Amino acid sequence: MERNPTLQALSDWLESTWLGNAFIDQGYWSWPMAESLHFMGLCMLVGSVGLVDLRMLGMARGIPLSAIHRLIPFGVAGFLLNIMTGSLFVLGDADQYIFNDAFRFKLLFLAVAGINMLTFYSTAFRDAKALGPDADMPLKVKLMAGISLACWIGVITAGRLITFYRP
Amino acid sequence: MLGTGIFALPVARQYGEIMEAFFIWLESGSLSIWVRGETGWHMAFPVIIVFHALGMGFLVGVALAINARVLGIAQGIPITIMRRFLPVALLALVVNAVSGVLLLIGYPTKALTNPVFYVKLGCIGLALWNLKWFHTHILANSVYDTGDMPKKAKRLAIASTVLWVAAIIAGRLLAYTYVKLMSI
Repeated sequence: MERNPTLQALSDWLESTWLGNAFIDQGYWSWPMAESLHFMGLCMLVGSVGLVDLRMLGMARGIPLSAIHRLIPFGVAGFLLNIMTGSLFVLGDADQYIFNDAFRFKLLFLAVAGINMLTFYSTAFRDAKALGPDADMPLKVKLMAGISLACWIGVITAGRLITFYRP
Repeated sequence: MLGTGIFALPVARQYGEIMEAFFIWLESGSLSIWVRGETGWHMAFPVIIVFHALGMGFLVGVALAINARVLGIAQGIPITIMRRFLPVALLALVVNAVSGVLLLIGYPTKALTNPVFYVKLGCIGLALWNLKWFHTHILANSVYDTGDMPKKAKRLAIASTVLWVAAIIAGRLLAYTYVKLMSI
């Protein structure tokens, strides 16, 4: 298939950046080490955002949402770790990602997860947090928790498939 | 690899030959061929890998959350109620045992001739033992819902985190450190 020239220019530019080249120049082990960190970030994200989502969906009632929510900074740290390592992959070998359908799906799931998160924190979090430890969450909250969990599972699935959809 | 290094020893050589015959037999089997996607469904291997990654996320995720709570993050979580997340970890463990065995059946030579694979298994074994200890001694004791954690629990929470990190690194390195892909 004919490549979009704008995307090709973007891909070429990303690969020409100092950081991308510096990452590749570190040698054979830089890629697997960054991948290992990317997997750890994934586990931190699932272990915080995933568990908060499960709590909102009705699992582990007895834990106040305000208490389990303290795990979120830990997930944010995992997410930032993955933004950093993920950027290194894209800068290091942009061609493999920009023209990769699995990567595009990953970005799509990330975008939906992001919009869902913003909606949750701007419309529902304050009320949900005030509920008691055994509270059943309102349907709206459960829906957003379900979307969040599904999106992160989608991100992991699409992410792991990237290597099988190389252009 | 046969005839070199440790395989130059007669006993080791014989062992190596037996193992190689076993790998050839396994890799020729229909399940192994199916896992590698060589017949029928070519997405078998990627899909198994996806399940393995998802299982890792939920198993290690639950373990890390328990470790974080034990180490003093999110003190407001009654630790006995964290037990209710253990079925998630158990399901993830089953998913990863099944997907892991399938991956092993697909590429037995690749994994079993690589020392890193045994490091990975050892780390997972110790980490699971560790999780079992938390299940019995901490998560079942409501004293720890609000009270201070024993020093031993804190040390084991750090050990657990280190073991899971090591297991993940070893697992990721399997794709980069294998000495032989297949015996057939």
